[in-house]
Amino acid sequence: MIEHNDVKTFEEVENVVIRFAGDSGDGMQLTGTQFANTSAVFGNDISTLPDYPAEIRAPAGTLAGVSGFQVNLSSQHIRTPGDAPQVLVAMNPAALAANLGDLEIGGTIIANTDAFTTGNLKKAHYDENPLEDGSLKGYVVHRVPLTSINRRALEEFESEMTSKDIDRCQNFFALGMTFWIYDRPLQTTKTWIQQKFGKNPTIAAANTKALEAGYFYAETAEIFQTRYRVRPAKLPPGTYRNISGNQAIALGLVTAAQKAGKPLFYGGYPITPASDILHNLAPLKQFDVRTFQAEDEIAAMGSIIGAAFGGAFAVTATSGPGIALKSEAMNLAMVLELPMIIINVQRGGPSTGMPTKPEQGDLLQAMFGRNGDSPLPILAPATPADNFNIAIEAFRFAVRAMSPVVILSDGFLATSSEPWNIPDPDSIEPIVVTHPGPRENGNQFLPYRRDGETLARPWALPGTQGLEHRLGGLAKAPDTGNVSYDPNHQSLMIDLRAEKVHRLQEMIPPTEVYGRKSGDLLVITWGSPFGAARSAVARAQTAGLDVSHVHLRHLNPLPRDLEAIMKRFKRILLPELNTGQLAFLLRGRFGMGNIESFSKVTGRPFSINEIYKKIHEMM
Amino acid sequence: MTENVIPIKEIPNYSRKDFQSDQTVRWCPGCGDYAILAAVQKALPDIGKRKEDIVFISGIGCSSRFPYYMDTYGIHSIHGRAPTLATGLKIANPELSVWVITGDGDGLSIGGNHLLHACRRNVDLQILLFNNRIYGLTKGQYSPTSKPGTKTKSSPMGSIDEAFNPIAVALGASATFIARTLDTGVKHLDQMLLEAAAHKGSSFIEIFQNCIIFNDKTWDYASDRKQQPDTVLFLEHGKPMIFGKNNDRGIRLNGLQPEVVELGHGITEDDLLIHDETNRNLAYLLSQMDYPDFPVPFGVLYRDTTKPAYEQAVMDQIHQAQEKRGKPDLRDLYMSDYTWTVEPDKRETQAIMRDEMGTGPLDEEYLDNMEKSLTGEPQQVNKIHEGLSIDPISNLLFGRNAITAQAGDSLERAIKLMQDNNIGAIVVVDSSKRPIGIFTETDVLRKVATQIEDLSARRVVDFMTRNPDVLQSHVPIAHALYLMSIHKYRHLPIVNEDGVVIDVISFRDVVKYIQDYFV
Ligand code: SF4
Repeated sequence: MIEHNDVKTFEEVENVVIRFAGDSGDGMQLTGTQFANTSAVFGNDISTLPDYPAEIRAPAGTLAGVSGFQVNLSSQHIRTPGDAPQVLVAMNPAALAANLGDLEIGGTIIANTDAFTTGNLKKAHYDENPLEDGSLKGYVVHRVPLTSINRRALEEFESEMTSKDIDRCQNFFALGMTFWIYDRPLQTTKTWIQQKFGKNPTIAAANTKALEAGYFYAETAEIFQTRYRVRPAKLPPGTYRNISGNQAIALGLVTAAQKAGKPLFYGGYPITPASDILHNLAPLKQFDVRTFQAEDEIAAMGSIIGAAFGGAFAVTATSGPGIALKSEAMNLAMVLELPMIIINVQRGGPSTGMPTKPEQGDLLQAMFGRNGDSPLPILAPATPADNFNIAIEAFRFAVRAMSPVVILSDGFLATSSEPWNIPDPDSIEPIVVTHPGPRENGNQFLPYRRDGETLARPWALPGTQGLEHRLGGLAKAPDTGNVSYDPNHQSLMIDLRAEKVHRLQEMIPPTEVYGRKSGDLLVITWGSPFGAARSAVARAQTAGLDVSHVHLRHLNPLPRDLEAIMKRFKRILLPELNTGQLAFLLRGRFGMGNIESFSKVTGRPFSINEIYKKIHEMM
Repeated sequence: MTENVIPIKEIPNYSRKDFQSDQTVRWCPGCGDYAILAAVQKALPDIGKRKEDIVFISGIGCSSRFPYYMDTYGIHSIHGRAPTLATGLKIANPELSVWVITGDGDGLSIGGNHLLHACRRNVDLQILLFNNRIYGLTKGQYSPTSKPGTKTKSSPMGSIDEAFNPIAVALGASATFIARTLDTGVKHLDQMLLEAAAHKGSSFIEIFQNCIIFNDKTWDYASDRKQQPDTVLFLEHGKPMIFGKNNDRGIRLNGLQPEVVELGHGITEDDLLIHDETNRNLAYLLSQMDYPDFPVPFGVLYRDTTKPAYEQAVMDQIHQAQEKRGKPDLRDLYMSDYTWTVEPDKRETQAIMRDEMGTGPLDEEYLDNMEKSLTGEPQQVNKIHEGLSIDPISNLLFGRNAITAQAGDSLERAIKLMQDNNIGAIVVVDSSKRPIGIFTETDVLRKVATQIEDLSARRVVDFMTRNPDVLQSHVPIAHALYLMSIHKYRHLPIVNEDGVVIDVISFRDVVKYIQDYFV
């Protein structure tokens, strides 16, 4: 028999970027997630980015209600969800209108013609039907009467389901079509449907049927005569799962607490896009995860100070506006010198800004956003999965320095996902925590007597006999921690706290320079621009340009070799999703005049192409 | 549920001195805070806790210096936030005895929200609110408990704000122990402290405290020994509400309103209200009684011992989860989603899904609406196209039985079978009727006709197409058509779920199906 591989109708491609877009009630996140999971299980490298409306329930069919999910799948290693989609699945006119601008020129549109009704066209501000007026000339348009054909396919369920229920299965029909076009197996999704809807066999059967019907429809339709195949990527051996940043950080926090033999205390107040961390932790009570939904951001911060004082691994997560509210208590935590983690999943600012869009505008807030001199260690994950490592590392920093540690994630890292090579938990080093033991001899306990090497004070827990002591936000004397307005004490304590954070440099591994160690241009990034920048630099290097890349996961303190590395390059390009905050810091710190900020504040991540073009321009 | 076995700790014979820290107390001479500090230090030896298990947490204000003077654990935190630290601490270590020291500005103004929520959650805390009706530390502005008309630097013509009633606030916020007492009433204060410490849940004590500097004598009506019998009603559970120098006055209910009555002239104790700490409505009534219309109630106004403390509920859920899910394992946790394995050389994909962490971003609206409505009228579609992709292959089968041959059958027999049954292909099956090959008219034409002479001597197995594609009958006709078109098949064996051949469909069958659309 003829092997499928030999069928001539397959076109081999290296990668495909596909975006599913529809009404927020159409199930597009789910559809995209299924496409991503199936591709991951198939062996592709994948990266995904959801894009959902800020309004919870925007009116159906409107531009405000458009929900999208982009998947990049590749036979090569990829680092971003892709610059521009090549394929857009548009379930209604609003989805087409909202996403057409992103689609690659000449890209493919699969449109549900049934949804292009006069009413829906009007809601999407179309005067004419774009599928018919020739305005999509530059694209390959597949017009599929998805609603009606899905109804026909699910006729057998008419006695048990309303036609509206049946219509709700049409996202699986669309998914089935794309599975055929990209030669994906249906099994992963079928299993998922069983798991999710198993309790309602009719819905499970109807969705499965819709999925298969879509698959076979695509097969029959002449329109899809070309199928694409993206071969499996050569990922390092291991067991993988697809993971978003907010999932990864939750797993990292639990791991850190387990590795220290501590309960994990999480105090948080709901805020987009950080709430998922709480959602991911709350079901993990068997790991002694104690979650506390506080009455406000300040209370959440206060609660983790109390929990840290009590000896738990304490953490809170929020976004920029929440940090603004927490700042006073963060400052208290800093002077109390207790270990804890404050996660800022940054979103578009200022003020309420764009809650569902990423930005990196809170770096200076983390550095300086408290009264007085208030140095806090700051770490930032590079990729969604790196959130796992950063959470564990942050606790190592916190325990070593007896200091709150800030993690700067962002909306992009938090919600996008990538394959995660699942580590062996036994290979993760324990986090060694020591608490001073009880004293019966009556010798005075000195809560601010510091370790000679790390400058950390002891973490003495209530319940320990003989170590009774009082902490407070007032200026204090060294060793005793007693209230003191002595000018020398104040100055000494400010210096010691800064030096303590500075000494965390010893925990930072040597900085990796991607490319030549010296040369014309060095691209420096922190946070989520990593993926786009690394790919752009790789492309530029292949094109023969003399450009290197350094990515910073540690922003305070900075790696100690950074200054020397920067000095070996003629020019430095710093792409940031803000108006140049790290650039400002580095100029101030190292006094260099050759740092060029490349700023983007549109609520969207950098594309590879943007950075590549910028590099090109500079050379 | 596992019982937490807490080793009973031996309590040393403490005296009040054991609770005095080495710090010099720095309130203004004559400040009511001194009396409260002394009372607390006196009460603590009797609460049945070791001193290392006691923590005082305060906010900002005169009263909030309190923890510095206690030789226990303590935090002098930030303005209004003490209840939040205390809540986190209790959840981290429920065994501690945690006391919140706050004032009217700290607890009812800047920290009002936290006070409400600590009470509401029933965190096992002792919240002592020192009410001096003024901002002392910032040098004398009116506070949220200042009587309207209070003249201060920030209200030179008198304050126009209505005052908070701290007891009513605590009651409204569902604190489960609510009491009122006075800084200089040593015995009564001591008793209230002990009762609060014994209560499991949020205990709130309003302590009338005199600020000698900025609001002196504000509580004189209640603290003055001579006036007190007529201005204060000391509540006792189960006892009638009697007050007055000669115990000759009482509180009676008139309709829904309390009223002050003189005993005698036909009014006896039996006519008076009996205090019932567990009665919430009565507690509200009492909270509204204020001097000068009424004596101000002191003592335990409300006590509810039926509700679990918050941190206990947190730990109960932890223990339940641990019991239900067994020993937690990080590896299992990491794997709680789709996983797949990349082998060093070959790829093995296995989709395993467990539903512990959720499955990535889901469309809640979509899922919610699974059974709700959406509109849109169907449009005309290409009927043939639609039919092909939906109608199953079984529509082409009319109860025909598959004509099959065995591998060892001769070519002669196979060709005869085709002729006799007027079919273009036969399926060659193994002993359990599973297809191993297909022998078609094309095979006859190309391989057999020109070369073979003795059809009976040759076996069909050598001329068939091996391992043909097969389909099940529920698959849409479209799929058959697709395989036929790309592989140029003219016949496809149809099998049942066990892989047994049940029929063969031909290209002709499909054409005939399409033809039906034109008649
Ligand atoms: S200002 Fe008033 S409340 Fe504050 S310490 Fe002095 S007397 Fe006490």
